[in-house]
Amino acid sequence: MTRRLVYAWLGLMLLLALTVGSSFIPLGVGNSVVNLAIAAAKAAIVLAVFMELRRGEPLLHLAAAAVGFWLLILFVLSWIALRGV
Amino acid sequence: MTDEPVSKAFDEVGREREADTFGMWVFLGTEAMLFGAVFVAYTILRLKYPEAFGGGSEKLSMWLGTLNTAILLTSSLAMAVAVESAKAHALPFARRMLWITALLGAAFVCVKGYEYFDDMQKGLLPLLGPFHYDGPDSAHAGLFFNIYLMMTGIHAVHLLIGISLVVYLALPIRIPPGRQPKRIESVGLYWHFVDIVWIFLFPLLYLVHP
Repeated sequence: MTRRLVYAWLGLMLLLALTVGSSFIPLGVGNSVVNLAIAAAKAAIVLAVFMELRRGEPLLHLAAAAVGFWLLILFVLSWIALRGV
Repeated sequence: MTDEPVSKAFDEVGREREADTFGMWVFLGTEAMLFGAVFVAYTILRLKYPEAFGGGSEKLSMWLGTLNTAILLTSSLAMAVAVESAKAHALPFARRMLWITALLGAAFVCVKGYEYFDDMQKGLLPLLGPFHYDGPDSAHAGLFFNIYLMMTGIHAVHLLIGISLVVYLALPIRIPPGRQPKRIESVGLYWHFVDIVWIFLFPLLYLVHP
């Protein structure tokens, strides 16, 4: 059990090294895309392993999905409202 | 004894645990909306003034940001081990892990405090003192440093609350044994959430490319 937590931590540190490393390669907008993709991967590891979403309790999946859905509404509506501003 | 529900509202311990965790997740949802709004404000400003954000980000110490990210990710590992030990009713070990979590959290706050001090000396925090900036789009760079201070400030307040809760749980106070693992689990969820916020703050503030 604890071993899985340590593996997750190793993965997180590796991703941190990747983000910092990639920032030395000039990719233009690509840098932001890589950074955000890596941040999302790190968040997914924390959610799945540390916050135990992978244990698979449906109620918690629903709660977490609802959080994601509200955030999506916030981001998408803001994006639509601000296009071209 | 520890397999009895603490509250009379529940017949069995499994249902009670699920309800506790669900309650915590609903709370984290409200927190996500708070931070979500700040992230939207950040995105609008960054899209409007990309040069000021790129130039401003370069003035921050990427290495201190990286160090703090590593510290916080490690604190989450300690917290996760504490939760696991508490569930296995190994409370003395869980308490030791909670102390490590709190110490790492305090280390993060110290590094952040030093950073604020350093930024202020360089005149990079217009909300706290005179502003000196010699990078691109100096007319709007203040906005970057303002939102940097606001985002990291709100995050730091959350972390300080987290540290207080973790220290409280680590103290050898007599709490009915059935309650302690659930409390540690709930505070653990909060701690990891604050970690996730930082996971996004780090690249958005320290690794912006103009």
